[in-house]
Amino acid sequence: MYLPDFDYYAPDSLAETCEGLEHFGAKAKVLSGGTDIIAKMKSGLLNPEVLISLKKLEDLKKIEYVSGKGVVIGALSTHNDLVNSKILNDKYLSVSEAAHNMASNQIRNIGTVGGNLCNAVPSADLPPILIALGATIKLVGTKGERVMLLEDLFTGPMKTVIAENEILTEIVIPDQPSTGSNYIKFGLRRSGALAVVGIAVAVTVNGGTFTEAKIAIGAAAPTPIRARETEKFLQGKTISDDLLAEAGVIASGESKPISDIRGSAEYRRDLIRVLTRRALHKAINEGHV
Amino acid sequence: MSKDYAVIGKNVPKIDGREKATGAAKYAGDLKFPNMLFGKLLTSPHAHAKILSIDTSEAEKLPGVKAVITHKDVPALKYGISPARWDENIFCIDKVRFIGDKVAAVACIDEETCYKALKLIKVEYEVLPAVLDALLAMDEGAPQVHDEYPRNINTEIHQNFGDLDKALAEAYHVRNDYFVGQRTYQSPIEPHSAVSIWKDNKLTIYSSTQSPHYFQYYIAREFGLKMGDVRIIKPFVGGGFGGKLEPTGLEFAGAVLSKLTGRPVRTFYDRHEMFAHNRGRHKVYMELTTGVDKEGKILGVHANFVSDGGAYTSLGVATSYYAGGLLTLTYEFENYKFDMIRVYTNLPACGAQRGHGAPQPKYAFESHLDNIAKDLGLDPLEIRLRNARQPNTVTINDFGINSCELTACLEKAADISGWREKKGNLPKGRGIGIATGSFVSGAGYPIYRNDLPQSAAMIKVHEDGTAATLYTGAVDIGQGSDTALCQMAAEAMGYRYENMKIIAADTETTPHDFGAYSSRQTLMSGSACKQAGEEIKKQILDIASTIMSLPPDDLDCRLGIIFSKSRPTAKTITFEEAARRFFVLRGPLLGRGVYHVPRLGGTFKGAAVATSPAYSFCAQISEVQIDEETGEVDVCEVWDVHDCGQVINPMQLHGQVHGALYMGVGEAIWEEVLFDDQGKILNPNLGGYMLPTALDMPIVHSELVESFEPAGPWGVKEVGEGATNPTMGCFNNAIYDAMGVRIDSLPLTYEKVWCAMKEKREGKTESNTEV
Repeated sequence: MYLPDFDYYAPDSLAETCEGLEHFGAKAKVLSGGTDIIAKMKSGLLNPEVLISLKKLEDLKKIEYVSGKGVVIGALSTHNDLVNSKILNDKYLSVSEAAHNMASNQIRNIGTVGGNLCNAVPSADLPPILIALGATIKLVGTKGERVMLLEDLFTGPMKTVIAENEILTEIVIPDQPSTGSNYIKFGLRRSGALAVVGIAVAVTVNGGTFTEAKIAIGAAAPTPIRARETEKFLQGKTISDDLLAEAGVIASGESKPISDIRGSAEYRRDLIRVLTRRALHKAINEGHV
Repeated sequence: MSKDYAVIGKNVPKIDGREKATGAAKYAGDLKFPNMLFGKLLTSPHAHAKILSIDTSEAEKLPGVKAVITHKDVPALKYGISPARWDENIFCIDKVRFIGDKVAAVACIDEETCYKALKLIKVEYEVLPAVLDALLAMDEGAPQVHDEYPRNINTEIHQNFGDLDKALAEAYHVRNDYFVGQRTYQSPIEPHSAVSIWKDNKLTIYSSTQSPHYFQYYIAREFGLKMGDVRIIKPFVGGGFGGKLEPTGLEFAGAVLSKLTGRPVRTFYDRHEMFAHNRGRHKVYMELTTGVDKEGKILGVHANFVSDGGAYTSLGVATSYYAGGLLTLTYEFENYKFDMIRVYTNLPACGAQRGHGAPQPKYAFESHLDNIAKDLGLDPLEIRLRNARQPNTVTINDFGINSCELTACLEKAADISGWREKKGNLPKGRGIGIATGSFVSGAGYPIYRNDLPQSAAMIKVHEDGTAATLYTGAVDIGQGSDTALCQMAAEAMGYRYENMKIIAADTETTPHDFGAYSSRQTLMSGSACKQAGEEIKKQILDIASTIMSLPPDDLDCRLGIIFSKSRPTAKTITFEEAARRFFVLRGPLLGRGVYHVPRLGGTFKGAAVATSPAYSFCAQISEVQIDEETGEVDVCEVWDVHDCGQVINPMQLHGQVHGALYMGVGEAIWEEVLFDDQGKILNPNLGGYMLPTALDMPIVHSELVESFEPAGPWGVKEVGEGATNPTMGCFNNAIYDAMGVRIDSLPLTYEKVWCAMKEKREGKTESNTEV
């Protein structure tokens, strides 16, 4: 295991970064925390000629609340920044908790939110909870910037809509009426495990009735998915144990998981059934955790 | 038998604790020598292929490459660790037999150049059909891994004691069960490394090894050198667990590369190469048939096993004999048949892993015994108490048992865990299980046939008496033998532990010892150290008697103070004074010790394997919480009660129990080396291979029972491996207690538990989850 040769750039500005990416095109890859790309390069799965580091883009290291916009998370925030952010702890503890249950402390110290999203691994832990909370992302390129829903970022395993000259700069969790959210990760051990499945829900409950429920599932399909049929099913319904159980069954039916070394498709589908019910139950009863 | 010892039985600080904790300790991979080169091995990308040609010319042209070697540059003599089946070459000659088989090696000025050079070696292969399933390996027409072994049979054992057919015919109840184990890997934290220096016909190797002696023997043999011209030095070692007992390709390749270049060469494995080299636990397919009487007394057992050995023998002959041999230890029965076939496959070779051969058969037998208890309506504790081995007995396969407090272990484990209150009274989803274990305190015979003593030791007291150095061939690989042996030497000398120094595991400076395997060192190396210490004491009291004008028989020495036994008020002198006087008058104060095992065991084929001067015993109880919907297993708590004789260092002993349990818990629930359909490992790294983390560990209660082993110095016997043996069966029984489902294959994954519960709900067979 040895890192192959590559050229390394660490531009001072966003504009330079995007220009560099445009210049090198497919030869270049973005280096953020490096917890994924360096390992892949060492094991020969990726072999970029150029790495463009974002480490000097200080503006992308922030978590702040902007009135009228929401919680703004800079793409270079580390997982532990999410874990320890007072703003997130207060408003969306579920995001901090999802980050806390990722990987290991060493990786949480260096891996970044932007990396976790752009990597587009189906089992990634942050996309489901951020999607459930309606997060948007900002992509900045040489020809300007665009804002879109996070759920529209992913096109397949390790595939996104990000152009070669673009980078993801920030994630925004918009102000919302939701009353509860959480992410349940099912891993095969308590630390350092990838999600066999991950279920995130954000619900808006009013007097025992669902005004809205958003459900996002990881490791259930080639990309993180919204369980839209389940969401539709729940909307306007009165909460009961049977209702939540039925929601689990519908969510399970919406998923298209694969079999791999962590679990069979059949097992994953059943986990989705059980954990969707549990996540909804928790969101209703415990708020944003 | 608690006696008033001065040094043993105490929690002295580890002798190397400070160096390790501060990072000052140097492991083989940390060592640097002037002009040192770096060496890497090229391995096979195919599970089974003919080598048509190897072209090293491009690699040789790369700047920084100092040597490239293949089978043409090394002896063709086959080696191995089991003399009955030497079947490995330093580099493959005609064909490769698994993904990771050794093909060539390079020595370069730095590590980076090595990887570039390896890519430039062109090997032309003709891919052959591979055999990846042990159960198909014996079929007619299956691909042959070695031409010399028809039907891929590497080891075949058929042992028959008593009259099994009669016992089963007369039994009140006969039960047959089938279980499957899994391949696991030791995963020591320190990767294998070696620095080889071949200079002026002398070969010196610093190696992360469990046994300098076996390395010295096999390396000398391979290169036609005198053993005296091969020096093996063990630096600090970061764990072995059985995987560093035999020479790897690193030492052989490094030696040749050093000879060719005239420079020291450091060779090393990365984590994924460690997995490929493997030598981890065999996957065993286990059929058990047992007959019992109405009271649950075992009348006879048939163990019928097949194991997947991988591409080479490694320690697998011994593993195979251990697999069945050790099953007779914990429960007494008089009729036993053991059939075993170890087959070759095109997968990495399996070898010895903590609990050598025993844990998977124990998992099967303990699960099987619980099934029998259920059939009879007996409490699992009760059936074990009724069959528990008693002291001063002989097993049906001729192992002599001296001390054995298994009954006391079972009773104590039941008491401290609250077994009797909990059993049958826990809420659904929560369960409690029980199992027993036993292990050798050192293999009775060395791995290759020889008449050397098991261990020898020397002590040299410094001229002013302020320090004493213990010279031992015993090998501390993290388990703490350096500390325990210094305690034992100091106790025997009447000296202080704090003044002890140790030089260990260097074939040139220390006396012979076979090394760290089969839980042998506290008893065997300890015997030699005790004898050496006693020889020092005798001499020191002799000189003291002239200084003190008292008869030597009236003197004793404790913690460095020499005193009269009969005259408590007589003036004392210090060990230092007497030692200094000794040096002035008589020269160096030296003590020597040697330990031979008495002849052990029966006369049948394979009778030598699993003989030992003493056997440890233990009982384990574990409690689990099962998520009834997801199958998630929460390993809540474990109670381990050990009979390990006199304890030398309680802290280290409990550390061994925790470590053994850690491995046992991992193998029970999480760990498995997985392969794709081409024989490639899918999880050769610590991200994919599910070792438990600290968060996954249960609460551990490690307790002891009073015990004294007459064959051991001060009554000691083993602990380091024994605590791994019951664990997998113990958890399986706890899961059964929780959910009423029996998982018939290891590991007991969440998905298997989920699957078994689902099948039970749907009314399918209660117990068949083998995949």
